[in-house]
Amino acid sequence: MSNQDAANAYRNNRVGPILRAGPLTAGVIEAAEEDNPGKTIRVDDKVAYVRIDTDGELILRRETLERTLGRPFKMSEFEVNLGSFAGRIETSDDHIRFYYEKTL
Amino acid sequence: MALLERAEWYDIARSTNWTATYVSDADLFPDVMTGAQGVPAEAWEVYDEPYKTSYPEYVAIQREKDAGAYSVKAALQRSRIFEDADPGWRSILKSHYGAIALGEYAAMSAEARMTRFGRAPGMRNMATFGMMDENRHAQLQLFFPHEYCPKDRQFDWGHKAYHTNEWAAIAARHAFDDLFMARSATEIAVMLTFAFETGFTNMQFLGLAADAAEAGDYTFASLISSIQTDESRHAQIGGPALQVLIANGRKAEAQKLVDIAIARAWRIFCILTGPSMDYNTPREHRKQSFKEFMLEWIAGQFERALIDLGLDLPWYWEKMIAEFDYQHHAYQMGLWFWRPTLWWNPAAGVTPECREWLEEKYPGWNATFGKAWDVIIDNLVQGKVERTLPETLPIVCNMSQIPICAIPGYGWNVKDWPLEYEGRVYHFNSEIDRWVFEQEPERYRGHMTLVDRFLAGHILPPDLGGALAYMSLQPGEMGDDAHGYAWVDAYRELRRAAE
Repeated sequence: MSNQDAANAYRNNRVGPILRAGPLTAGVIEAAEEDNPGKTIRVDDKVAYVRIDTDGELILRRETLERTLGRPFKMSEFEVNLGSFAGRIETSDDHIRFYYEKTL
Repeated sequence: MALLERAEWYDIARSTNWTATYVSDADLFPDVMTGAQGVPAEAWEVYDEPYKTSYPEYVAIQREKDAGAYSVKAALQRSRIFEDADPGWRSILKSHYGAIALGEYAAMSAEARMTRFGRAPGMRNMATFGMMDENRHAQLQLFFPHEYCPKDRQFDWGHKAYHTNEWAAIAARHAFDDLFMARSATEIAVMLTFAFETGFTNMQFLGLAADAAEAGDYTFASLISSIQTDESRHAQIGGPALQVLIANGRKAEAQKLVDIAIARAWRIFCILTGPSMDYNTPREHRKQSFKEFMLEWIAGQFERALIDLGLDLPWYWEKMIAEFDYQHHAYQMGLWFWRPTLWWNPAAGVTPECREWLEEKYPGWNATFGKAWDVIIDNLVQGKVERTLPETLPIVCNMSQIPICAIPGYGWNVKDWPLEYEGRVYHFNSEIDRWVFEQEPERYRGHMTLVDRFLAGHILPPDLGGALAYMSLQPGEMGDDAHGYAWVDAYRELRRAAE
């Protein structure tokens, strides 16, 4: 990668959670597919962490997560595995949303 | 009894601004402590922290996090992971704990300042949790290495480093005092939580966790990634503070704070995380190169977030990108050459196979850094170890407190960036370091680097032995080659075969 490409690496619109290794990952990927219809969900597995992202906006709903994880789930539990995230975050009792306001 | 959802009570519960009657607002929230830059209290009312939590949630979640980290530690305590780990990996643990653990206490003080002097109620609320987070990080990162002390006394430096004048400890203290300890609440929100935590801590706490998992050190991978989940939350204190500053005509001031913080954080992580990833981690366990991790976390993620908030790339962006290719290689040579001055044993990381990997990841490495390593290797092959050891001290940057260095060999670009200020000549590693100094010279002017102290006669006797004593490095603690020079055998074989 040239230095010019490297300097332009910020030109992307990828948003989404980066989960540390843990029991949520598969359920979150499944919920991301379901809650963001028509979007391509990318998964980059680095073993210690998994980057899950899509362009512009990614939403995860508690309802969906309860179904994909097969158990009751509080949105605050997300924090146990949320090592980092790309984009801005919005947290509430029934969903978590990652987004950018500007599109590059 | 049914509990209300958090959203139904949160805003009113954390609306803790009131009109002071016994003292003036300026006495209660002095500008020097709030750093509000004249933006009035009403303008801070719009501050809305995006990553919310409440005390009951905090306690429950933190308990779960700690249970996870401690149970992984307990489960693996009887395994032989530590004994069987590559010595280069153990050096990563030593450098990490010594450089980070007590820095977490500094971060706790900084969070406490936001808790008291943050101009927005939401900032004070989130910083209260942030303060407890940082205490957790200090405690965990003192407790985890403690079990290794009986096995290897260099681990004692997990606690000892910050209490000494060892040069890397001086560098860490200088940066953390600047960014965390000696700043106002608003500056801390921008420099510590936004620039340092949403940006650079991801490199050492998630990027390095990927290498740790590859190396089989699940205790460390689990610990540091667990710590980063706290950072991920309280790092969000900075974004809304930046938005308030920008909306009130303080963009230039905010941009300057961010640019200073990125410049300073980059130096620390360049010397700490860079050699850890590209030299100390055994080649077969390297998930990506340091540069690739920098592009993933800093260029691709952090800088992108900065643009979204309405800031610009730092003025030195392209210069910093160029440094991704060489600065940590230069630091690695310095760390290894001045190895007696470290509390860990650096791995050289330059076996023939490692050099192939370095050349692939950093084209041109063999023609530049490789040439300098060739001289070291020649001396080691001939059994002249003393020629690979320092007799004096290097020129140290008056900002980073790290030796001034860059590319050797055919790509030579080593240069001092001096500045004369009030009759004293200061030396800097780059235009970026010098620019930071120039933003507030009276803040930095009095500090003496280790070399300044040497020249001022503070270090006696004035030789390397005196310097080691000044740095509190006892025999048995001083660093040496991680592998006891066993890696040189491959070169001996190659030369024998060539003959």
